[in-house]
Amino acid sequence: MTATRQPTDDSARYDIPAHASADDPRVLLEEQIGVYEPVPPFPPRTEREAEFYTVGDGEMLINIGPHHPSTHGVMRIVMKIDGEKVVDLDPVLGYLHRGVEKICENADFHQTITHLDPLEYVSSLFCEWPAVMAYEKLLDVEVPRRAEYIRVLSGELNRISSHALAIGFHALDLGGLTPILYSFIERDEIVEMLAALTGQRMLFNYFRIGGVNGDLNHEFMSRLGDWMSRATTEINANLGLLNENEIFVRRNRGLGTIDTETALRMCWTGPNLRATGLPFDLRRAHPYSVYPELDFDIPTRAEGDSLARYLLRVDEIKQSLRIIDQCLQQMPDGPVMAKLPRLLRPRPGRAWAGIEGPRGEYGVYAVSDGTDQPFRFRIHDPSFLHLQSFNLLIPGNLMADWMAVNASLDPIMGGVDK
Amino acid sequence: MDRRLKRRLESRFADRLAGPIRQRHDETELRIGPGDVPDVMRALHDEPELRFEILADLAGVDTGHAMQVVYHLWAPTTPDWLRVIADGLSRDDPRVPSITFLWKGAEWLEREAYDMFGIIFEGNRDLRRIFMPPDYTSFPLRKDFFLPDDAARSPGAGVRQMERTHVPRDAPATGHIRRTPAG
Amino acid sequence: MAVTRNDAGPDVTADTAVVPAPPSGVAEPVVVPNTLWRADDPLAYRGGQGGLEITHLAEIEASGAAARDDARWSGALEIIPTKADYIVDLIRANSLWPLLSGLACCAFEMMSSATSRNDIDRWGMFPFRASPRQADVLIVAGTLTTKMAGPLLRLWEQMPEPKWCVAMGDCTCSGGRYKRSYSTVQGIDRIMPVDVYVPGCPPRPEGLIYGMMKLQQLVKDRRGHWPERAVGPSVPDGV
Repeated sequence: MTATRQPTDDSARYDIPAHASADDPRVLLEEQIGVYEPVPPFPPRTEREAEFYTVGDGEMLINIGPHHPSTHGVMRIVMKIDGEKVVDLDPVLGYLHRGVEKICENADFHQTITHLDPLEYVSSLFCEWPAVMAYEKLLDVEVPRRAEYIRVLSGELNRISSHALAIGFHALDLGGLTPILYSFIERDEIVEMLAALTGQRMLFNYFRIGGVNGDLNHEFMSRLGDWMSRATTEINANLGLLNENEIFVRRNRGLGTIDTETALRMCWTGPNLRATGLPFDLRRAHPYSVYPELDFDIPTRAEGDSLARYLLRVDEIKQSLRIIDQCLQQMPDGPVMAKLPRLLRPRPGRAWAGIEGPRGEYGVYAVSDGTDQPFRFRIHDPSFLHLQSFNLLIPGNLMADWMAVNASLDPIMGGVDK
Repeated sequence: MDRRLKRRLESRFADRLAGPIRQRHDETELRIGPGDVPDVMRALHDEPELRFEILADLAGVDTGHAMQVVYHLWAPTTPDWLRVIADGLSRDDPRVPSITFLWKGAEWLEREAYDMFGIIFEGNRDLRRIFMPPDYTSFPLRKDFFLPDDAARSPGAGVRQMERTHVPRDAPATGHIRRTPAG
Repeated sequence: MAVTRNDAGPDVTADTAVVPAPPSGVAEPVVVPNTLWRADDPLAYRGGQGGLEITHLAEIEASGAAARDDARWSGALEIIPTKADYIVDLIRANSLWPLLSGLACCAFEMMSSATSRNDIDRWGMFPFRASPRQADVLIVAGTLTTKMAGPLLRLWEQMPEPKWCVAMGDCTCSGGRYKRSYSTVQGIDRIMPVDVYVPGCPPRPEGLIYGMMKLQQLVKDRRGHWPERAVGPSVPDGV
């Protein structure tokens, strides 16, 4: 690079305006900061684009921009509407694309685990889990049983907090401001517990190749015991606020219905697929970790609409509480980390690991070329595929129903955009 | 490690395999050429003994010599994951038939592989960029796209000046985007 | 660089004395040469080639109010003591309404600071406005990508002044863990002026609250007053 360095402090420059603006030459983006018209300023490049951007009589293209109050993250939807009814949608992603896969190709194996946390940031442990499983397959490492139990325990706690948030945001997107506060109470308690265990409230960075970072400690156990003693009643009370709420039920019932065959063709996994009737849960379908030793049911609902997805999440929280109980009773003694060298050089090879996260199947495909950095690190996120189904679920409904369907699918844009 | 699956796949796809079927831990790996993708995937999906109905992932890989597209499938008939590697795509013009006729959900996965590698999926109705802005002119996950050590030290605050000139065919013809690397 | 003021005062010429109403009803602007002040540095303001003229509506030129180059408090209002400023800043500091601009993980800690356990409603900051027109402070929480930089800058420009900006999280302060990425902006101070940086990945809600209290202090001290802000990367050379 032979370009000259720019001075880093521009406050003494008098020939350029003091506030940044789009005309400012110091705005260091080579592209023009874009105008966001719904219609792209160039001719349609694909069939689907031509079909979508051809506006019929009475139809209108509006832009639900990357910044909108629906708090799942930054996503832009171009909607073709006819009055209040949605005719078609074109989701535009990439507003949170951070290039994690490329960064992980230049990082050590241990560092990649940290980089995966911010993907599905409400369920960070589930983001780390397939990565450590894939590396353990590449290195042929056996994880101690106590570490596996701690992984399951912390994972299920994270699942409860993620589902609680999903339920809260479902209500928030429909206009209910109270359930989100209750969800955040649950989430804050669980997250303080996990902070006592892992050191961090959100992006935990707890799983390691061969185990977990630290053993259970007194603070975690006391918070956990305290919470478990009132968990069931609290959860039934707080999160069941909406089960019989007439507005919530009537808005969600029959909305965004999908059947199992279509869901499989759209590559759905997780609670969204189980709400259509198929009891596909990777913890039972392709058991990993110590889930074969634990006794829990797979909640399934047959209707496939938004209300079924919501009720399924509430059921899953109850099953997670059962799993946590059993983990605490069956926790074995032993080390929490396998003995591994500092510098890890696996054999050249490929490994895939998929786990059941709160949104679906979260997977990592790691290709190693014998060095201490992964050669290719592919992250598969379930919300990416759920968002693809907007075109099936929403046309024919009203614009406000887009919000309900979006919230019931529970996407997290950090994972979608990587 | 399902030996029966290996025997079944070897007997069914004997003529299309581009390499031996490997198995490690709970994964079975199948290598085929890019032209065989639609037939093999349709057979894996439809046949009652195989029934790989769940597409878990579709990934592009740039090995430095060639490009690959890697599919991961799950079936209730076997305890293994199945990995199908479509190997041997050229790095200059990687093309592979699309599997959106089987799984509509693969459309966006293929868009992502196109956006990151430049792999053209023939038959995908919507092959445009998904993560990068539509007028971006590089494919970030290719091995010839380098990250600088410190993006802050570069005047462009990123690698825009280091982009290669592999311009995608669908890049719009706008006047303000440079086609050659700057500086 | 000092600005010297002409001691002659406003230049009243014959053609600005009386201005009849324009026949079309549209007020045409009047461009007059700048005789109020000149810059000391000969290179400033493009070496005096242009841009120094002052453009006024004809009525303003006629009334003589254009002679002032500082239009904040004019005429009789100038003598209002600074206590009014103090009260106004106190009002502003205690009801800073944030714009709901959560981009990624830090958004959850921001929401967590807004909900029951760590309640920023104690400082008047609970209403997270969805519209930038109604917001005072833009808390950028989460990684800013180059694709999102445009919309975020539009949001910032749409916010009416007085407005402040808080960079929450490592990604917005300096790029954070995405320092080597090809698609993130390495710190939002590359594109917008920032008042308070709250580091952390993500910062605890208590950390964000500390940052907001610093912002309140800034508002009361009028240190964050927007025209004097510096824009640009705040990492010094050689780091």
